[in-house]
Amino acid sequence: MVLGELLPNVNELFEWKGLVGPHTWYEFNKVSLMAFVSTAICIALFWFGGTRRKLVPVGVQNLAETGYLSIEENVSLAAMGEEGRKWTPFFATLFFWIFFINVWSVVPFIQFPATSRLAIPLFLALVSWATFIVAGFVKQGPKYFFSNINPSGVPLALKFLVIPIEFFSKYLLRPLTLAVRLFANMTAGHVLLAIFAIMTNELLIERNSGWYQVIFAPLPFLGLVAFTAFEMLVAVLQAYIFTILTAVYVNESVHPEH
Amino acid sequence: MRIRRLFLVALLGVGAVAAVPTAAHASGGPAELFECVEKAIEVNSDGEKVDYVGFEQSLEDCKKAKSLVTPALPEIIWGGLAFLIVLVALMKFAFPALKKGLKAREDKIREDLEAASRAREEAEAESAQYRSAIGDARSEANTILEEARADAERVRRDVVARAESEAAEIRERAQEDIRLAQERAMADLRAQVADLSIGLAEKVVERNLDADTQRALIDSYIDSVGSGSR
Repeated sequence: MVLGELLPNVNELFEWKGLVGPHTWYEFNKVSLMAFVSTAICIALFWFGGTRRKLVPVGVQNLAETGYLSIEENVSLAAMGEEGRKWTPFFATLFFWIFFINVWSVVPFIQFPATSRLAIPLFLALVSWATFIVAGFVKQGPKYFFSNINPSGVPLALKFLVIPIEFFSKYLLRPLTLAVRLFANMTAGHVLLAIFAIMTNELLIERNSGWYQVIFAPLPFLGLVAFTAFEMLVAVLQAYIFTILTAVYVNESVHPEH
Repeated sequence: MRIRRLFLVALLGVGAVAAVPTAAHASGGPAELFECVEKAIEVNSDGEKVDYVGFEQSLEDCKKAKSLVTPALPEIIWGGLAFLIVLVALMKFAFPALKKGLKAREDKIREDLEAASRAREEAEAESAQYRSAIGDARSEANTILEEARADAERVRRDVVARAESEAAEIRERAQEDIRLAQERAMADLRAQVADLSIGLAEKVVERNLDADTQRALIDSYIDSVGSGSR
């Protein structure tokens, strides 16, 4: 009840005024700005890190190379084997862009992950979806669309059940689950941080019910610190999950026997 | 390590502190509502004519919260554009450069390792060669030493033998010389004794014997003297 009165409408945590062209189809708001800044960070990191040619890498070169090789080892090779190497640039782009756009959730004075707006996870999920379908089509030709949903070894009687399930699962639900997983996790994290921040604000600064509230202020503040650290983990983890799932889907498309 | 931990905790603290005012002023909710109402008035009033029903409907729309799960088209457009830019920039330019660098380093390390391996093999072969050469030299030196020893022994024996032979020769020659000298001395002595004896006999006997008789007498005397002296 108290929280209900304290907290604003949840949408207020996610709505941002347009910086350019408000209420138009080209409205450019804080989310769009974050997306472009994340793009700039990614390009800067890998441009400066990738074009340095020191034999013993240090600083940004070390960071860029380690990041790239980590994705190669933990995503491309782990999900696709040796063939995954050529997919590493795509997976690395996906991972680092999602990570940088997620991590705004803990950047002081911004504290808002752009992926907590459905638009961006949905777009990324569609990119992932299109990628694995095109990859399957290129590799197997038109038969991909059926072989992908027709697992071998299933008795004929069960195929009537399995094929529709596989169809929904692979062609319709995958992009949806990818988008919702990322969006829901980042949204939940942002709401959680907002709740602890508002509670701390109420107890320490507003003190609507009197000074005695100040005694309890450290509790939500400590929760806020702990969940800020947790949000960092979530930012990395969600980027990784999204990327590895994309890699798994691509692998299934290009290796139908698996 | 401790500094890093402190830095991390400090960063978290700053983040948490900043979250409080950010969350408190996160939304421009009332301002947006105000804008929405202003827009509703503007849309539903045409000069003197006011559409009250439309205005009421617009007002209701303003009160309605936007659905959290409705993706905003502008965000899809801008977000998508930002992702496509990063995708092209990284896949076309940054990652190939990075991979080139990694490949160059991989090649360099591989070449260095191979060169080191080759150098080691060469060094080992050379070392074996040296060891073998040293063994050969040692064996050769032993052979030379043995030969030298044998030669020296042979030379020593030759020298000793030659010396012994020369010594024997010298001894024999000396003995021969002594014998000849002795014989010569004896002959001289015999001649002198004969002459003396003749002279003496002439004086004693006071008669002259012919020389041959005298000489025969003397020789027989000497022989008798010689055999008696022995």
